Amino acid sequence: MSHGLVKRLSLCICTALLVASCAKQNKQAFYNTGIIYCSESNPVTFNPQLDTSSTTSDASSHQLYDRLLDFDPESGRIVPSLASSWLVSDDGLTYAFQLRKDVWFHNTRYFTPTRNFNADDVIFSIDRWRLRSHPYHYVSGGRYPYFESIGLAQNIASVERVNGYRVEITLKRRDSSFLANLATDFAVILSEEYANQLAQTGTPGKIDELPVGTGPFKFDSYRKDHFIKFLRHDNYWRDQMEDAPTSDEALSYNNTVESANQEVENGQGGEDTVQDGTAQHRDETRPVVKQLIFDITPRSSLRLAKLMTGECDATAFPAQTELEVIRAKEDLTLAEKPGLNIGFWAFNTQRPPFDNPDVRRALAAAIDKNTLLEAVYFDSATRAKTLLPAASWAFQNDADDTAYNPVLARKLLADAGVKAGFSMTIWAMPVERSYNPNATKMAELIQRYLRDVGVEATIVSYDWTTFRRHLQEGLHDSVLIGWSADNGDPDNFYRPLLSCGAIPSGTNRAMWCSEDYDKLLNDALQTDDIEERTAIYRQVNRLLYERLPLVPIAHAYRYQAYRNELEGMTINPFGGVRFGGVKKAL
Amino acid sequence: MSFSLAYLFPGDTLENLTGLVPQNEIQRAALERQFKLDQPYIFQFFYYVGNLLTGDWGYSFTSGLPLREEVGIAMPATIELATYAMLMALFIGIPLGYYAGIRSYSTSDHLINSASITTYSFPVFWFALLLILVFSLQLDAAPLSGRISLLYNIEPVSGFILIDILLSDVENKTLAFKDALSHLALPTFAIGAIATASMIRITRRSVIDVKHRPYIAAAISRGLSSWQIFFRHILRNALLPILPLMAIQITTLITNAMIVETLFSWPGIGNWLIQAIYQRDYPALRIGMMAVSTVVITLTILVDLFNRMIDPSREKYERATV
Amino acid sequence: MLGLTMLALFVMCALFAPIITPYDAVEQNIDGLLIPPSWLANGSISHIFGTDALGRDLFTRIIYGCRITLGSAFITVVLAMLVGVSLGTFAGMLRGVRSSIVNHLLDALMAIPTLLIAIIIVAILGTGLVNSMWAITLALIPQFVHHTRSFVRAEMKKEYIVASKLDGASRWQLFVHSILPNMTEMLVVQGTLALSIAVIDISALGFLNLGAQSPLPELGVILADGLDVAYLAPWNVAVPGMAIFFMVLSINIVGDGLRSALRKRVSH
Repeated sequence: MSHGLVKRLSLCICTALLVASCAKQNKQAFYNTGIIYCSESNPVTFNPQLDTSSTTSDASSHQLYDRLLDFDPESGRIVPSLASSWLVSDDGLTYAFQLRKDVWFHNTRYFTPTRNFNADDVIFSIDRWRLRSHPYHYVSGGRYPYFESIGLAQNIASVERVNGYRVEITLKRRDSSFLANLATDFAVILSEEYANQLAQTGTPGKIDELPVGTGPFKFDSYRKDHFIKFLRHDNYWRDQMEDAPTSDEALSYNNTVESANQEVENGQGGEDTVQDGTAQHRDETRPVVKQLIFDITPRSSLRLAKLMTGECDATAFPAQTELEVIRAKEDLTLAEKPGLNIGFWAFNTQRPPFDNPDVRRALAAAIDKNTLLEAVYFDSATRAKTLLPAASWAFQNDADDTAYNPVLARKLLADAGVKAGFSMTIWAMPVERSYNPNATKMAELIQRYLRDVGVEATIVSYDWTTFRRHLQEGLHDSVLIGWSADNGDPDNFYRPLLSCGAIPSGTNRAMWCSEDYDKLLNDALQTDDIEERTAIYRQVNRLLYERLPLVPIAHAYRYQAYRNELEGMTINPFGGVRFGGVKKAL
Repeated sequence: MSFSLAYLFPGDTLENLTGLVPQNEIQRAALERQFKLDQPYIFQFFYYVGNLLTGDWGYSFTSGLPLREEVGIAMPATIELATYAMLMALFIGIPLGYYAGIRSYSTSDHLINSASITTYSFPVFWFALLLILVFSLQLDAAPLSGRISLLYNIEPVSGFILIDILLSDVENKTLAFKDALSHLALPTFAIGAIATASMIRITRRSVIDVKHRPYIAAAISRGLSSWQIFFRHILRNALLPILPLMAIQITTLITNAMIVETLFSWPGIGNWLIQAIYQRDYPALRIGMMAVSTVVITLTILVDLFNRMIDPSREKYERATV
Repeated sequence: MLGLTMLALFVMCALFAPIITPYDAVEQNIDGLLIPPSWLANGSISHIFGTDALGRDLFTRIIYGCRITLGSAFITVVLAMLVGVSLGTFAGMLRGVRSSIVNHLLDALMAIPTLLIAIIIVAILGTGLVNSMWAITLALIPQFVHHTRSFVRAEMKKEYIVASKLDGASRWQLFVHSILPNMTEMLVVQGTLALSIAVIDISALGFLNLGAQSPLPELGVILADGLDVAYLAPWNVAVPGMAIFFMVLSINIVGDGLRSALRKRVSH
């Protein structure tokens, strides 16, 4: 009896081992068909036209949609996307776009396209936010914060359909940043056919909740605070293109690098690696990514932990303290690049005593920016004197900057009639952003500095969506927040942050309105000459230094942390993460 | 009692009760009439209970989803975790405790006793943290979040993920099953270890008490030295007094499960309630509290009934000590 | 013996915290962020346990933390004991229907998890150390009631009580002179049990941010603060955890010893 038992036992063990080894192969293959990304918060909506937060853009614009134009992540130049070419008239007022053929929209549970992308979709997407009379304008709220903040709707005279694949847009005034604005995350192209279908069933709002676009992934399901699931878009136009590419198609998203460590060493991600559409793209040995999942994890330490165990393949916004850990681990990659962003401390200039520039100057002099840089950014940022970082072509190295001077601070406060013990609130963002990885910590440090000059500060915070809503209502005294550029144009910093038109859209956190400022900005857009524009922006910087509606603190580096198995990950200088061309190696 | 909480919680009563935010005065008046807030307190209470029984539990502030759905997903997750931990405590704790009790004051007993008192003193959240740091991050042996990898789409039929995997029509069932097991490993161990330690102590104490009873001495003197009869006498009499303590064990187990859920991002009712309180989601809190207390009280009553069935001779309020 | 010395150490820390500690518990030192403890290579003796992410000395915070956690747990237990004993005696001296109702009610209360009570109280009253103490007091009361009640009921049947009653003693006199002295041992044993539960629960609530809030140096809060830098500076997580662990361990050991002693006395 015992012999038989031994035999049976060994047989069991052998089969178990065999099954286990087969299972291991299966395991790998299955897990390579999906990418899991640890994201930091819930998107507000799935239509980036309606919101400016990068969380929303990541979950929608970068995965679900395409735009007419895109930015090449290496050179920053504008490259074709859904518009295959364009012409600008001599007076700079009329732009004609030739649209790409054979682009298909998503085929989902709730929508099946019967035609491919054409001019009607472009017109719908633009007119929706441009025309108040458009039937879809007020659907889902009617606020289009980015476009409102740059006043683009007022500047467009007409959008015309020349034929099925040609659209002409005419402006009222020259705007040298117009093309750049069409390449931002917010200028996505929606499906007009889908919109019509929803209008007929009486549920137009679904266009922003169950989205349809032309991007590399299509929407599958969303559970708030838990996950977003995307599925591969099988007819994605870029994938079709790879079989017959042409040399002027700069496929910027498909930078396949051997090991992303090279990116770190080169600092810029290497030479401009343009793909010629060779067999590399249709490499049969690498399984196709069928699923993309956003695992919503608000705590950054938990995101790092999941990255380390492999439960996430890439993660959003690693905290400064974690960068060293990621660099030290061999199976993780940390890619970094100087960012086009600014972290600042803005005062609510519509509330006394913050409407007095001397009070603002006093508060600015009360803090030591260098300490903040060290303690919050751990030296992975540069000190900001103005809004523009060094990566921008209009950067001014010798701009005026406030200095740490508590004596001056006390004097100015006393002169302005602010008594000792004056209390104010500092609103600190609850989420990490590259421009400010830990607003709460910064607030605590500022609290200490302010106490030294006799000001008692209380720190206020809410969950991210509530926070931004309250900020828009102007409930704050001051706020620690920032801005990541959407395009390479300096206007993209100055206008949405401090122009009069940006107050209703909510991006002007200082609630500051100055006609002189707006006039200077508009002047800068009238010319295409870089030198002239730079000179005007110098004047702007001087004006901001004198009035100080906000205190610029830091320009931070951008980081992307992911596991080595992911190939094709790039860092976009304008932020966000795109999984369009990413594959997982075995 | 959860009804009165709607009044006690800060904020608007109507919103707290229903989770719906009226957009304007007209809607508010209509909603008030619908939920009978304009009638005396007693009527409101009955209406509330009626609603609960028919399954209309209101909506959550933060997610806008019907609360019944959310609790329906979250509650089985916690119950599954607690069940497996309880099984671990029963099947490992009782035998070990018995063994220690039989050989009381010997070396092995001292060993088991010290081990159990040490484990029992661990704060459960720290214990779970240590497990994560060692097994997940250092050794890469087990995952630390969720019930199963997000790549799988399992339909929640029973709420128990292991059963649901077997019932579903996914291609790689074994893979999914193994994945779910590995996700279950650390949280179950964290809670189960402490529950086991507790079980060991209780069982041991009970066995020692029984050992010194006169009838055991009588049995020995009568020559009943065979192990079987020993087991039968001691075992039954030792186990009986610990049954009443099981109720407290279950309570502690569920509390620990709720704490550990936050560390492991386990989508159970504990995690859900704690998120609700961070976001001040009052309707969710009320319903969640009601759900958990119902479950716990039901379990306690069941244990009590079970007790009465098995041991009719028991002195009514006597319980074993630790 | 070991348990007793450990416990004594903790009690000393709690009582003499301001005198022993070299730094202020909440003062931030920007220059000294995340300094490792003194036994590691980069540590310094001026910060025995190192510092945390805001530059606060960990040794000081732990000592103060012991004081807060142990102190508030102690207060909670005493309060619960007072209320529980009174209710329990009252219930124990009752007869008939009233007593069964009270008994069933209290048994139901015992079944509700501590965390749940804490969540409700926090939802109504808000977060904070005091509110979490109320929650835990509420959770501990039923235990005391139950044990007091059974004890009193058992005692009431004994002969010396009957004798005193026959002598004409009132209920109050019965309680104070006859039952209470005999109850103290049972109370001490229950008290140590409750104390260990209270310590764990208070630190758990602090950890979940439902009880004590940052920057108050309660041990659970210190643990939660350290979680963010757990990989960079593991001592931020290890040390407060160990402090709680040893505190509870010492209470449990002492409690066990007391129970054994009591048992030996009773059985003789």
